[in-house]
Amino acid sequence: MNIELRFFATVREAVGERAITRKFEADTTVRDVLSVLEGEYSALDGMLLDDGEVASSITVLHNGVHVTHLDGSGTELVDGDRLAITPPVTGG
Amino acid sequence: MSETLPPVYGGEILHIHLDTGETEIEAIDPDDARRFLGGNGFVSKQVAAHVPVDADPFDPENVLAMAVGPMNATAFQSTSRGVLGFISPLTDGFFDSTFGGTLPRAQKTTGFEVIVLHGRAEELTYVLITEDGAEVKSAENLAGQETYETCQAIRDREGTGYDTHVLAAGPAGENRVRYACLLHESKLREGVAGRGGSGAVLGSKNVKAIAVQEGDFQPDPEGDLRQRAVQQMGRLMADTEMLQNYGTAGLVNPVNEMGKLGQRNLQYEQTDRENAEAISGETLREEYVTDDTTCANCAVKCGKHVSIEAEGLTEAKIPEFETLFGTATMQEVYDPEYAIKVNDQCDRLGLDTISFGVTVAFARECYEKGLLEKDISPHLEFGDANGLIELTERVARREGFGNELAEGSFRLAASLADEAEQYLYGCKGLEFPAHSARGLKGMSIGYATATRGGSHHDTRPTLQYDGEHDETIEGTAEFAARIQHFTALGDSLTQCRFVSEGGWGGRVNENYAEAVSLATGWDLSVEDVERIGERVYNLERLINTARGIADRDTDTLPYRVMNEPIPAGPSEGMYCPPEELEDMLTEYYEFRGWNDNGHPTTETVERLELEDMAEVLSHQ
Repeated sequence: MNIELRFFATVREAVGERAITRKFEADTTVRDVLSVLEGEYSALDGMLLDDGEVASSITVLHNGVHVTHLDGSGTELVDGDRLAITPPVTGG
Repeated sequence: MSETLPPVYGGEILHIHLDTGETEIEAIDPDDARRFLGGNGFVSKQVAAHVPVDADPFDPENVLAMAVGPMNATAFQSTSRGVLGFISPLTDGFFDSTFGGTLPRAQKTTGFEVIVLHGRAEELTYVLITEDGAEVKSAENLAGQETYETCQAIRDREGTGYDTHVLAAGPAGENRVRYACLLHESKLREGVAGRGGSGAVLGSKNVKAIAVQEGDFQPDPEGDLRQRAVQQMGRLMADTEMLQNYGTAGLVNPVNEMGKLGQRNLQYEQTDRENAEAISGETLREEYVTDDTTCANCAVKCGKHVSIEAEGLTEAKIPEFETLFGTATMQEVYDPEYAIKVNDQCDRLGLDTISFGVTVAFARECYEKGLLEKDISPHLEFGDANGLIELTERVARREGFGNELAEGSFRLAASLADEAEQYLYGCKGLEFPAHSARGLKGMSIGYATATRGGSHHDTRPTLQYDGEHDETIEGTAEFAARIQHFTALGDSLTQCRFVSEGGWGGRVNENYAEAVSLATGWDLSVEDVERIGERVYNLERLINTARGIADRDTDTLPYRVMNEPIPAGPSEGMYCPPEELEDMLTEYYEFRGWNDNGHPTTETVERLELEDMAEVLSHQ
């Protein structure tokens, strides 16, 4: 299935792209995606997951909804979903 | 009760009587320092003590008090913040407005923790403050000048360059535009006391600017603040990386992704991603940022300069997130160069970008709905970017329909058909900033109960964006109240909010208790320091209840927030219907110890040691 990944701010700097669309296996979770990204981009290594949970240093939005309102890192994805990965929203 | 004032305080309050030019110096009561701490707490006390409760904000009896806090000019990072306190021409209630730069640190070294302007000068003046006191000087040659020009002219006149730290009103302040701001141009960055109309209050006093020159006072903390500051640097820098790189404009993309970023006067709350990208912090950094700027003693450097070389616009201040909301998304203008230009215009003329933008967006919707005559003014169509720039001039000079816009959206609505009230976005007379009153439950009750009305620095949105109390009302009233304690405490410390939230935490915690204890030598618990914030917030409420502007009827939200759910996007369906607000208000008042009408009870006043303030207000 295809998942669109959007990156903001310092996460975008680490990836070097605004957004990418990637193929994942069925039953993929947010945790799986973050793990793949950590392995693929050295600047993200250790930044996205903390003991299998979404690290406090980032915010993950699933189709615009904070994953804390879903199943956190265990949130399951379906074809066409969108994940936005951003540093925590501070300031303003 | 404290018997002596800790040496981290300069120890004096400077009263300046503009009518005569005379000054008097008052010693800070050590017990007031313990109760109110500094900054926000100190200016609240000055407003309560000196402004009659029936005084109009433009009466000479209103004061403009400017205070710093106990940790200013110490080793602690990001504490060069000043707080202005006054009765607001928008809300008719107590207002505190903060700003950064170098002036607050300079004020601290004069030994005057608080400077209070009383009365009204006969002619246009500026006030020069040194450690020896104050001098009221003629500024007649500065009439009509923009803010940056004024700062430069006063620096030139005083002959000490950037060692004269200036906070100035633009033409908007002189013309009493109700949301006129004050701008401080320092060597390191610009600081703006943006909200509530401090520029208009200064203008009503015939004061064009306040200038401060450094003195010899150095605060002497009781504990080792330097070691504690060094220990905190790692986390502070790590947790403010977004601000360091993008400033607050970095919020545009994620908040739009959540579907909580108002568009077209809140007719919807999410724009196309291309539009958001165009005005995002990422785009501004990539294409327009030329250098990072900073307040005194702050390594975060969240300030930025931006330039549009092709148009000869260089080293303008970067638009903040709130500005991008008010002057871009609310207008359906997604051109970064216009956003930069409008922001620069507002800074030069001395206009609050939030109230200006939201007022124009309100007028544009009224125009769209036929509530304003077709020929009343040009530039009242959404998407008119050039028109927005033109309107800044008309508002600041009160020309044509600009004179109506200068009154703010609430007063404009009162002059129109009743239907206009359906398109307001604010409360207690103050327009809301970017953080959605519909999409963040904590902001719904937070705005409704805010001392300042539509302020995002009473209840903060930060933790809500991280999933706390954004979509539930369970426990949210208490959450909003306790964050109000947090902000009142932080503004009494005069610590930068952005840095404190990132580096110290978004709630009152042991970091704050330790810092205050180290600075003052008082052995305070977390509960003790939160109670300071609670006390200051209740003093603000006492002022506003005495003025008759804060009760259950005025603790409310605008029509659209209570009746029109967000129409589409990830936050579709969210709003705060009246019965939900009523439930949260009841819970909020009970938690606070206020009566059913939202007034602090006698027991609460006694618990918070505010009997003397309640007594003073009863006789004002």
